[in-house]
Amino acid sequence: MRILLVEDDPMIGDATQGALNDASYATDWVKNGFTALATLDTQHYDLVLLDLGLPGMDGLDVLDSIRGRDNPVPLLIITARDDLGDRLRGLDGGADDYLLKPFDMAELLARIRAVLRRKGGTALSVLDNGVVSLDLISKQATTLENRDIQLSSREFALLQALMIRPGAILSRSELEDRIYGWGNEVESNAVEFLIHSLRRKLGGHIIKNVRGMGWMVSKSV
Amino acid sequence: MDGFKKRLRDSVQLRLSVTLSLAILIVAVLAGIFAFVSALDEAHEMQDDTLRQVAVLFDRQQMSLRYPASREVDGDNEESRVIVQYLADGSKAIGNDDTLIPLPFPTTLADGLSTLKVTGEDFRVLVRTTARGERIVVAQETGVRNKEARESAWRSLLPFLILFPVLLLAVSDLVRKLFRPIAALSADIDRRDEQALHPIDEHHLPTEIRPFVVAINRLLARVAQSMENQRRFVADAAHELRSPMTALSLQAERLAATEMPALARERLLPLSQGIERGRNLIDQLLTLAAAQSSSNRPQTAVSVHDIYRRVLEDLLPLAERKHIDIGVESIEDVHVFINEMDLLILIRNLVDNAIRYTPHGGRIDLAVERVQETAILLIKDSGPGIPSEEHTRVFDPFYRSLGTNEAGSGLGLSIVKAIADRTGAEVRLGFCDPERKRGLCVLVCLKTGQC
Repeated sequence: MRILLVEDDPMIGDATQGALNDASYATDWVKNGFTALATLDTQHYDLVLLDLGLPGMDGLDVLDSIRGRDNPVPLLIITARDDLGDRLRGLDGGADDYLLKPFDMAELLARIRAVLRRKGGTALSVLDNGVVSLDLISKQATTLENRDIQLSSREFALLQALMIRPGAILSRSELEDRIYGWGNEVESNAVEFLIHSLRRKLGGHIIKNVRGMGWMVSKSV
Repeated sequence: MDGFKKRLRDSVQLRLSVTLSLAILIVAVLAGIFAFVSALDEAHEMQDDTLRQVAVLFDRQQMSLRYPASREVDGDNEESRVIVQYLADGSKAIGNDDTLIPLPFPTTLADGLSTLKVTGEDFRVLVRTTARGERIVVAQETGVRNKEARESAWRSLLPFLILFPVLLLAVSDLVRKLFRPIAALSADIDRRDEQALHPIDEHHLPTEIRPFVVAINRLLARVAQSMENQRRFVADAAHELRSPMTALSLQAERLAATEMPALARERLLPLSQGIERGRNLIDQLLTLAAAQSSSNRPQTAVSVHDIYRRVLEDLLPLAERKHIDIGVESIEDVHVFINEMDLLILIRNLVDNAIRYTPHGGRIDLAVERVQETAILLIKDSGPGIPSEEHTRVFDPFYRSLGTNEAGSGLGLSIVKAIADRTGAEVRLGFCDPERKRGLCVLVCLKTGQC
């Protein structure tokens, strides 16, 4: 994987390039928009990391030029500008994601993976939050302790609802909506019953209860 | 009296009212005296004329006098009767009785008008020599004359007596009305909050105070400009700090990923925590600058439970690290009309504060209820609480309560206050357990508005 980093700040550029190299991405670093456009003409990249506050040519103009040349390279904006207007202009102008400084390297790497996955067109067949993973095809869950735990279809539906966005709190009625189709009679305490059995199979810490709000699984680490 | 003098000196309105009233009073009194005196003179003049006409009538028609024998004649009034007699008959008068004619006038009187005292009463007396050479006296008691003259003089005063109070009322009403725009203006300015620095509308004001208002508007504009500059400086400075801070934290992260001795790793931890704190401070500074800027944000009906859920999703890891039991107590949701980001930032800062100051294994409860048109949001924790004498100061930027070791930015409650001021929300602090003075209880009152 080859990444082009467009960043004028030497400290951030240096640190980002080093961290990307550590993560086994081949990274070229340029410091302004003109060099970036010239480099993109001669070399194929799998992803571009673009800073907006560039000298000479603004990052948003660089973005326009890249997309104006019909270059579909996945592109992620990294910037200190946090007003909504800039963010919308970036995303509408063809950026695939937008990351605000200061950011954690772990988050940048996760976003890079997400952009590459989306662009690669591979549909996700496994949901994972680092504590538990759910295979959407075999409908089996895997925890750090146990592999391939078989789930009933309602247990699977409930866990899937929670795993689609780890860290999100879902209320009882939202979970009931996911488990039961329209017109199905909702049994009282069904959600508690399913969560109880999921906890017995996967371990008590996997699904957390937030008092008065609902249930969630931990955010991906 | 001194108090009144001071008020008179300080208040233009009072001075105007008093001066105008005094002027009206003086004019009315002078005009009244003049009218009274001239009306009195006029009345006397007319009565003298009557005496003269009687004398002329007597002369022209060549009447002769016969004195009545009896005292009483129908329709006669002793007080106001006009008496005609020959001057020479004064000596024939019987005794000192003014009801019997002839009266004892001195026979030596010269022609013309005079006032005499006869039989113990004052008389106005006209002596005339007729064409036949007789000298006659026409007389009337002055008592009734004066009474009538005074009555007519008093009647001439009546217009002034009516006019004076009417003018006074009219003047004081006029003065009050003239000063009403100023009173309305000052009440209007008084109601403004500290962020409202828009110019005062000068178009409906009297020309006399317009220059004053224009000057104030210019001052307001300069104040707004300097506040804006200050805000922008804070925002720009925080913004500029982002890049070096990003570089620092990236390097620290890279360092953490390398092989290193346990001692070095131990020392890396406070370094990373320091960087994290710096990043947090920059974020909070930018949030505060944004919260204080008065730009218009779109308002919608926002579900409070939805905001609670998003805040909990964000902050749950922090709470879990301290084993804090955090949850929502209310069952019924309430909608408020507000900008969603404003409410999210406000609640997030309050919950973040609660998590920071609640000890390990503590408890935090969120709740919302609707009382008429107001949504009451409650955030209660089992921490030490804030003593009431610090309740106003904790909203100041960078203020920290004594004895707290928390490494917060010191800006959380300032952000809360900035948002509350702008959105018209009310934030009240108290103890959850007032008797033991424990546990902070924050109450946020919001108008449910057009929900």
